[in-house]
Amino acid sequence: MKAKYVNPFLAASMTLFKDFLDLDITAGKPFVLEDKYRLDDVSALIGLAGETTGAVVLSFSHDTALKVVSRVEGKNYQFLGAEVLDGVGELVNIIAGNAKKDLTDFRISISLPGVITGNNYQIRWPSGIPVICIPFESEIGRFTVNVSLRE
Amino acid sequence: MKILIVDDSGVMRRIHKNTLLEQKIPESALLEAEDGMRALEMSRKQVIDLFLVDWNMPNLDGLSFVRKIRSQPEYAETPIIMITSEAAKYNVMEAIQAGVTNYVVKPIRGNVLWEKISQYISVR
Repeated sequence: MKAKYVNPFLAASMTLFKDFLDLDITAGKPFVLEDKYRLDDVSALIGLAGETTGAVVLSFSHDTALKVVSRVEGKNYQFLGAEVLDGVGELVNIIAGNAKKDLTDFRISISLPGVITGNNYQIRWPSGIPVICIPFESEIGRFTVNVSLRE
Repeated sequence: MKILIVDDSGVMRRIHKNTLLEQKIPESALLEAEDGMRALEMSRKQVIDLFLVDWNMPNLDGLSFVRKIRSQPEYAETPIIMITSEAAKYNVMEAIQAGVTNYVVKPIRGNVLWEKISQYISVR
């Protein structure tokens, strides 16, 4: 996948986590996710459709998911309940929606977000397209933004 | 004064609601709907003075809601602020053509959102 299709997701993630949530965050070098099904405990996904197809998955550990949604709402969530899952879904929605601004080659519509938890699930990625993983390190833990977009 | 917050995310509804409560908007003025369909029902039962509407929602999305509510004469001029993650220019244009009064891209800080909202309400 060309960098011009990955960078909008990287930029949208930085805006959300660094500028808006004031997290001390560093983005690692994006890489091809060889095992497309190896994600963390909590994954929020959104489908991309329209002039191209694709998917975006934001994946956190259990603890990082609690901490990030606590940060969003100014609360202190201790359990992975419906409110936290709702918050995680909203985060991937913001990343995908914001990334569209810079994906000017296509007119894209985004799906409603879905959130999956556990350690034994599979995302149905679009077939035949690599998944690019953007790793992030932050003061509340590591997380990844995973993007697959048909060029 | 009635403000209807339309968003399928409970987290976002609470954040918007808290922004308004911090500005001394009485809780009794704040109504919530989880999608456009519910918002249409609520706006038939009582007069809404300001709508805060998300775009991506189940059942009836924000854009369809705006088109439907604008087709009702009593809501032809009511302020509608769309608060959405949809940041593409074509989305903004589509929403304006549908009849939104203002368009705000999430994430947005509470004080910035309030600056937008306060243009359309008289603070008591």
